[in-house]
Amino acid sequence: MKIMQTLEGGLRVDMEDGDDWKILLGILRDAASCDVKLADRLGNMVTAEEVAEDWKEFIIPDLDATFDADLAHVSNSISAARMESAGGPGPLWISKDDGFRWYSALNQARLAIEDKFHFGPSEEVDPAKLTTESSGAFLRSLIYTNLQSLLLDRVMR
Amino acid sequence: MADTLTQTHESTELAVPWNVIVHDDPVNLMGYVTFVLMRIFGYDEKKATVLMMQVHQLGKSVVWTGEREKAEFYTQQLQAYQLKTTLEKAA
Repeated sequence: MKIMQTLEGGLRVDMEDGDDWKILLGILRDAASCDVKLADRLGNMVTAEEVAEDWKEFIIPDLDATFDADLAHVSNSISAARMESAGGPGPLWISKDDGFRWYSALNQARLAIEDKFHFGPSEEVDPAKLTTESSGAFLRSLIYTNLQSLLLDRVMR
Repeated sequence: MADTLTQTHESTELAVPWNVIVHDDPVNLMGYVTFVLMRIFGYDEKKATVLMMQVHQLGKSVVWTGEREKAEFYTQQLQAYQLKTTLEKAA
């Protein structure tokens, strides 16, 4: 996978083979891997009695819809680009306007991974002590982090 | 005929301010937290960076204090950006 900045302020992600598409599809799978949805995990932190009820009734469903819409948008983008290249080498374009939706999807994936595996700060993780499953999740999280850094520095600012 | 005495009593109480608090997590990038604080509150980069470092080093930071309705709005916005955020009455 190679990533370049476009003249329009977006990113061009060049897939080199089918495995690269699988990495991108992993974003969606990881984001959906947590038993408790992100909107609930965040919203349930609000416990002040004056506002907690409203949060459950109005804010959490709103957050949930927003996060799901971001994932759906990214899913459609990946599917369309993958179909265009028949699952082989080919580009995926992330426009400047789409930057935050991609960042959101990647963040949802990383938050779900963290919730499941509790890695903590990545620099404190010893890969040699990880199981096969957790090692894969840790590597995916690092890939997602790199893509997020590019989005933040080159697209969203 | 007895006189009628009417007494009126007025009192004014200051509204209790609310704190908006961002909590540390190992996922959100430091640059992203700074970016979000600048975008939502209009803080300059220096102030946003100071608050972000408080989150990172102390585990949490009060990023805004004021009336309840605005505190709720800001908390919702920060959660929409996927930052772990709570609100509570200021002590």
